[in-house]
Amino acid sequence: MEGYGNHIVQYSPEYSLCAGCEACSIMCGLTHEGFTGPGNCRIRLKLARRSLIHEILSCQQCDDHPCYEACPLKDDAMCIDADTGIVYVNEDSCIGCGRCMKACKFTPSRISLRRSNVKRGTKAVKCDLCRGNPDGPQCIKYCQVVCIGLSDDSVLREDGWWPKSAAPQD
Amino acid sequence: MPHYSKQDILDNPNNTQGFLGFVGKIARINLSTGEVSVIDTYQFVPKYVGGRMIINRIAWDELPPGTGPFDEGNKFIYMTGPTTGTGIPAGGRSEACAIGASNNPEQYSWGNIGGWFATELKYAGWDGFIVEGKAQSPVIIKIKNEKIEILPAGDLWGTRVHQAQEAIAQKYGEEYKSMVIGPAGENLVRIASITHANDCCFSKGGFGAVWGSKKLKAITVCGTGVVAPADLDKLIYLRTHMNQPGMRPSPVLHKTVCGIPGSEFPAVYDRGNVACSPGCNQHCNALLINGVSAFGPERQNHIEKCVSMGTFDYRTDIGSSVGQFWPTKQNYCAPCKMLGQEFPVPDFSDPHFEEQAQGFPGDTYDLWQPDYDRGTIINDLCNEYGIDKWEVVIWMCTWLSMCQKEGLFEGMDNLGCSRPVDASDAEFMKEFIGNLVYRRGYYGNIFAEGMSRAIRTLGYEKFSESIFHNRHSRILGGKRTDIPVSWEAANGQSVHWQGRGFQGAIEKPTWLAMNINNMMNTRDAQTVEHFHAGFEHHAPALADPYHYQGVIDAIIHIQNYADIKDSVMSCEWQSPDPRWPEMESVMYQAATGYPMTPEELMEAAFRSKLLFRAFLIRNHGRTRQSEIASIWRTISIPDSWNEVADWKSWNEMVDLVYEARGFDLETGWPYRETYEKYGLEDVADEMERLGLLPTRPAERWSDYGEPPFVLFSELRKLEPDYEG
Repeated sequence: MEGYGNHIVQYSPEYSLCAGCEACSIMCGLTHEGFTGPGNCRIRLKLARRSLIHEILSCQQCDDHPCYEACPLKDDAMCIDADTGIVYVNEDSCIGCGRCMKACKFTPSRISLRRSNVKRGTKAVKCDLCRGNPDGPQCIKYCQVVCIGLSDDSVLREDGWWPKSAAPQD
Repeated sequence: MPHYSKQDILDNPNNTQGFLGFVGKIARINLSTGEVSVIDTYQFVPKYVGGRMIINRIAWDELPPGTGPFDEGNKFIYMTGPTTGTGIPAGGRSEACAIGASNNPEQYSWGNIGGWFATELKYAGWDGFIVEGKAQSPVIIKIKNEKIEILPAGDLWGTRVHQAQEAIAQKYGEEYKSMVIGPAGENLVRIASITHANDCCFSKGGFGAVWGSKKLKAITVCGTGVVAPADLDKLIYLRTHMNQPGMRPSPVLHKTVCGIPGSEFPAVYDRGNVACSPGCNQHCNALLINGVSAFGPERQNHIEKCVSMGTFDYRTDIGSSVGQFWPTKQNYCAPCKMLGQEFPVPDFSDPHFEEQAQGFPGDTYDLWQPDYDRGTIINDLCNEYGIDKWEVVIWMCTWLSMCQKEGLFEGMDNLGCSRPVDASDAEFMKEFIGNLVYRRGYYGNIFAEGMSRAIRTLGYEKFSESIFHNRHSRILGGKRTDIPVSWEAANGQSVHWQGRGFQGAIEKPTWLAMNINNMMNTRDAQTVEHFHAGFEHHAPALADPYHYQGVIDAIIHIQNYADIKDSVMSCEWQSPDPRWPEMESVMYQAATGYPMTPEELMEAAFRSKLLFRAFLIRNHGRTRQSEIASIWRTISIPDSWNEVADWKSWNEMVDLVYEARGFDLETGWPYRETYEKYGLEDVADEMERLGLLPTRPAERWSDYGEPPFVLFSELRKLEPDYEG
């Protein structure tokens, strides 16, 4: 489990206020696919155009992983990393049916579809916590205000924010 | 799902050079006919770089002389840059130009805006758009990827800025990003702005009124495509190096003190910091949380940059320091760091540190006492009605206060309000601004025309040139110094770092340069042309402020970088960085893959400035005489050292700038060889056809004549303490 937590969390503004720069979603798209765009990022900003206090939306790596259960090619297209428990998409096998996207229990769905880079058709796009990247999730790495981090706690917080005490203390 | 891919961008048959960064199309949207057509972006690049440079080319080709701001022939030309949406810092901003309504006289104007709209437009597959013609009834332009629709917006007409944004999101979806006008734009108030999100505005130029004249309430966009930068390694280097991002928590702070250093006052409020646009690696905008609203009990958050500070308290003006305008490489603080209150630790080993730290306190005025809630209400009025906060705070409020204190409003029916004229009274300001936004009554209609025109209607001699008797220079130990009640600069715009009035306490070489930039423009230039030069130039500039070549070179550099940053797409607070002169070319390379050099960018900037100049000459009759006349009154007002500009020396300085730009000294018009040097032979041909191409005189011209008459200067001489 080293280097990985359970899922991306957003800290409360008393720890750090999201700057609204979208570096998280932009760098997600750039480091995964080499381009940016709303369809290919695995983390996104729910823009608060008046208050400017934004909410960050990403996959919560649910323990019951309904996206995985809904996949007609589970363990081939939608897979679970045996070491980390991360639910991830194997793009080579994904047929772009969209069932995982519909099965996601969050609104909006934390899974989206994008055009395949290499072949015709669509692919599911979902946070894999930058699995295999020794630097860990790139959204966290490039967040200029450290308003997001990792948590091992799989309990979803209703207000969406994680308290200051949950944030890095250094 | 994305409606196009990176490969589609490269497969565009017009993209013969394999550019990335751009998405390849500019939309032409005609509100008169309802037609939408497509213009190829790649025909303009790399020669016109992107953003403002492309706009200047289109404007030259498409906006004929005689076009006014409210004419059907006026066009709102909007462009993103190649860095927009790529994740290159500051690239999320965008640019627009049109014949402006707030300038006096009406002239071609420009603006730069932050927010999420520009990036969304590129995701929709558009690098920009031209809005032309006029609708018969209120409309909204709805852009969903390739599909552009002109739809009825009668239900939105009359709504305030945030009501309109909310209604659009509810109708079309939260994923849509909108630019809207408020009631000010609808009512053709000349200082009306266009607003996206919270306080991301095109404010200068009165573009909101241009939209209002076209019956255009809003443009909303949703895109599902991609933006592809060319070089990820360069991009990441830019992200991690441009002005050293903090990469540390930025908490909301509970504050108990507000105000400029040295003039703080108690106020309880929460403050955070946010970025102005997606992709940036800085967060320089202050977010003032839960402020009082002008329109009801609901609390609102407000963005604060620098102008809003004036709304809270105007006992004293903002001061300055030497290092602010004359940095060393060892001690350079990017403006984004200053605004974000993330000052770097000074390098005390800098041998010039003591001189750099020398500060100049702002003059005292005592226009209004500290009142955080009153300031927040005025900010809210500007935001919700969609009017230029600069003009309201820096010009209108100060003018109201100074005229009232000088007793100039006697017998003027409280300027049409039910309460006595009092700029420090939030209730008066609500009524006064409401009257002008809705053009209510005699005075509402007058002030809806903007301060420059309103003052002339009311009586220029009295309401512009009367002396305010309570300005005192702290630099001179509290000495009273004359200033007129109206803080107007060139082209009917308010002062801004010009050595008198708001942000006035700056040294002569600095304000001379700022006023050159203002004079040669059509609006407040300082939003992208703050003057700065290396510290090594400071002492020689002080010794000969009008003639030192280092300052002239810096002026040209700053002016050109305005067009570079508005075209590559960056911002005033990140660019230029004196420690990294190649930064903008690296940005362009990272976005497009084109090996743009700093020299090539500078050449493109000279070209863009030439196009702008040619436009002003052809469309607006710009001459040396007209532009010097537009600024001379401003620099005839004493600075904080009680000094004014010298006519002969000022003209000699203008000569040096004109020569550096290849302009004729007598007319201020570029020579043919200047146009040809930058690949604008066609422009030279048209100027020749119109008789606007000067011939080089046999001898150097120097017939400056007499300075324009400035009534304020004559009135000063009647003051009992006048020292000459």
